[in-house]
Amino acid sequence: MSSTVYAIDPDAAGAIGARRDLVRESARRSLVRRRLLGRAAIVLCVVAVAVSLAPLVALVAYTTSRGIHALSWTFLTHIPTPPGIPGGGVSNAIVGTVIIVGVAVAMAVPVGIMAALFLVERTGRIASALRFAADVLTGVPSIAVGAFAVAVFVDPFDHYSGLVGSFALATLMLPIVIRANEAAMRSVPRDLWEAGLALGVRRSRVVRSVVLRGALPGLVTGNLLAVSRAVGETAPLLFTIFGSGFLVANPTQPMQALPLTIFTDGTSAQPSSQLIAWGSAFVLLVLVLVLSVVARVVSARLNRQAR
Amino acid sequence: MAPTLLEEVPPPRLTPVGGVKEALQRRSARPGGRAYTVVRWSGAVLFAAIVVALVVSLLASSSQAFAHSGLSFFWSGTYNAAKDIYPTGVFILGTLITTAVAIILAVPIGVGTAAFLSEFAPRWLATPLSVAIDLIAAVPSIVVGLWGLLVLQPIFTRHVEPFMKKIPVLEWFFHGPALGPSMFLAGTVLAVMILPTIVALSRTSMSAVAVEDREAARALGATRWQVVTTAVVPGARTGIEAAVTLGIGRAMGETIAVAMVIGNNYALPHSLLSPGATLGSAIINNFGEASPGLDRASVIGLVVVLLVLSALVNVGGQLLMRARSRVVGATT
Amino acid sequence: MTPHAGTASVSLRDVSVTFGHHRVVRDVSLDLVRNRVTALVGPSGCGKTTILRTVNRLHDDTGGKVTGKVMVGDLDIYARDTRAELVRSRVGMVFQRPNPFPTMSIFDNVVAGLRLNGVRSKSVLREAAESALHHAALWDLVKDRLHSPAVKLSGGQQQRLCIARALAVEPEVLLMDEPCSSLDPIATAKIEELIAHLATDVTIGLVTHNMFQATRVSHYTAFFLLGEDRATGELVEYGPTQQIFDAPLDPRTRAYVSGEVG
Repeated sequence: MSSTVYAIDPDAAGAIGARRDLVRESARRSLVRRRLLGRAAIVLCVVAVAVSLAPLVALVAYTTSRGIHALSWTFLTHIPTPPGIPGGGVSNAIVGTVIIVGVAVAMAVPVGIMAALFLVERTGRIASALRFAADVLTGVPSIAVGAFAVAVFVDPFDHYSGLVGSFALATLMLPIVIRANEAAMRSVPRDLWEAGLALGVRRSRVVRSVVLRGALPGLVTGNLLAVSRAVGETAPLLFTIFGSGFLVANPTQPMQALPLTIFTDGTSAQPSSQLIAWGSAFVLLVLVLVLSVVARVVSARLNRQAR
Repeated sequence: MAPTLLEEVPPPRLTPVGGVKEALQRRSARPGGRAYTVVRWSGAVLFAAIVVALVVSLLASSSQAFAHSGLSFFWSGTYNAAKDIYPTGVFILGTLITTAVAIILAVPIGVGTAAFLSEFAPRWLATPLSVAIDLIAAVPSIVVGLWGLLVLQPIFTRHVEPFMKKIPVLEWFFHGPALGPSMFLAGTVLAVMILPTIVALSRTSMSAVAVEDREAARALGATRWQVVTTAVVPGARTGIEAAVTLGIGRAMGETIAVAMVIGNNYALPHSLLSPGATLGSAIINNFGEASPGLDRASVIGLVVVLLVLSALVNVGGQLLMRARSRVVGATT
Repeated sequence: MTPHAGTASVSLRDVSVTFGHHRVVRDVSLDLVRNRVTALVGPSGCGKTTILRTVNRLHDDTGGKVTGKVMVGDLDIYARDTRAELVRSRVGMVFQRPNPFPTMSIFDNVVAGLRLNGVRSKSVLREAAESALHHAALWDLVKDRLHSPAVKLSGGQQQRLCIARALAVEPEVLLMDEPCSSLDPIATAKIEELIAHLATDVTIGLVTHNMFQATRVSHYTAFFLLGEDRATGELVEYGPTQQIFDAPLDPRTRAYVSGEVG
């Protein structure tokens, strides 16, 4: 075979095999060390896994074991009593959380879907800017959103209300909702879009009947996850809803919410208040976990239906 | 903290869905209805308005504080004759220290966990374990804070911190009495909160390393662990760095949990066992009582400082990663 | 060039590979003759690559169960006390798609195998790298940029880099799994030349779906086909390349060969 392309200088190259024994010796001798090192490293990784899981176990275990003690019918249905006096509950906080989050969802989800529709249809600079803003906003500390709500709605009128808290939560949820919804809509295969358009159907109709339906699992999961995050947020509520010892159902008034109860009662020195904090934390944890689980179950079921 | 879209990868290049251009050309501009366009644009405009309003209002509400102190607000806060209120520099230091503790604790544990889940755990084990770790992110920060305050703090004060003082190299960081709230405790709580982020992103990056690279290492005689160090970790490095940057951002922005365990002390911390304050904790602890006017403006000024600091760290991290990858020459 | 003492021949006796319940290839007996190129040919899915990978025990990782006997020289590589890592430092492999380590430089790639096996001496690494790059016909191309990233090379150059990386460990056997299938004809020609040159120092097992390539570079050929059950691959015929192509003994071989070549 000619060596037009291949011209090696045998002296420069040396023979293959000159170092063969050296390499084999080195491989054999180092193997024990390498395997030992590997085993030690894997053991360390297993330890790391255990350490990673420990906080979750501890969080759930302590919250449950201490929170359960506080749980009772009274706890869930009565409003708080003055510190130290037994018989109080957190019904005002539970009702407040439900109402505030509910209003926040009513604010954020429609706007989120609308904005997501905008992003799905466009790729210009405006869309990129909005997408970038949404990404940045998801990383912004929630206290900034709380401060924003206070500056715009509380200070000028010197009035606290559940509505402002809802607004703050909605602002927090909005970028998450927008990105999740956009991703869900984009996951609908192109053929479905084009089939609708090719039939001469109006674009909005296509979107309504085909795309939204196809994206429904993703929409549900994304929005429910955003809600489960909003339920647990404290900073946006701390200075906007002011809190109340009474069961308030009118969002235009100051209200109570579970995170607030946990904060004020948890930092108190009174064991009875701390107990209430644990109870509220347990309720909150259950709420958040239920929402997450429901989100996944619903989307799995919808996914199955879609097929 | 939130079960946000940790696994979501932003679409790299977006094309109009559904062949908008072709459809439009075919049907000579059938836009699909006035109402539809209005709906979409309203959503976009509302969102944009909120973003703008957020920025503007924060700047406007804090302007009084910056006008009063000028740029020195960034380290000495608002000063009046009676006292230094809101010594920003101390808060920034506190933020950096607690974040550093959080990172030092969370990154080795997180990356080690990710390595196990990605490389050594069988599928039936890896999936439930990852789900469990992700669940930590779902726990609200107020609950983590409560747990940190009422459960972790006594344990730390009585057992962990005295133990740390005995370790030869570390005793320099841990001198002084263990009084309860401390920077170390706050850093640990933060570590717990950012761990799921680091594990999830690191694990995704590691699993994404091509099987060809692993086989190449294997075929040369590498042990399983050597495959990890030679092929997987270098291949996953950009993802791990992104995870760490994200973790830093979250640690810096956490307010409630830190406020509950750090002790709200404005003196310069002299050890990890000192109580202290971070930007986040100072904002939480002062917002409610701040009287309208300069006080309030100062607290909101702290919010602005926090946002600026986060942005700086974020941008710095991105620049660092870009510079590193240029030096190494990786084209990925 | 005289063949060096130290290269080995490989013999497979009644080797079968099973994944779960599916037997992918069965009862293969063939030799990789010392210092010669043996080609494994046949349509895709017949187990050629699977058989190749038994020789460096790569199936340990993929969950394939290997039965039968595989000897590298006088080492039974599937014996209980044989360490797979040591087998792999004696039996190198080049893969279908070039897979240099993407974060490493050219030099680091070439010496990666040596480092993995505990060789640290800088002078040895440098010598070995230079020698291996010479044998892969890459030295002149890269000698001035040994520390530039490996991914900047072209596809054919990357594959030669992978060959150099495998050679640096001084294997006695080199397994090549369709090394040219992702390369253009010119790069393919270069590598075929390379294979011919290397054969005198290393025992080579080459899987290829290109019959012409087999006729060009190999001394022995093993022809595989799917068995009658259409699920398990088997070795149909094995012999000197000349004979397989000019005077095949098995009618199936004749059919395949004439279909391709004729």
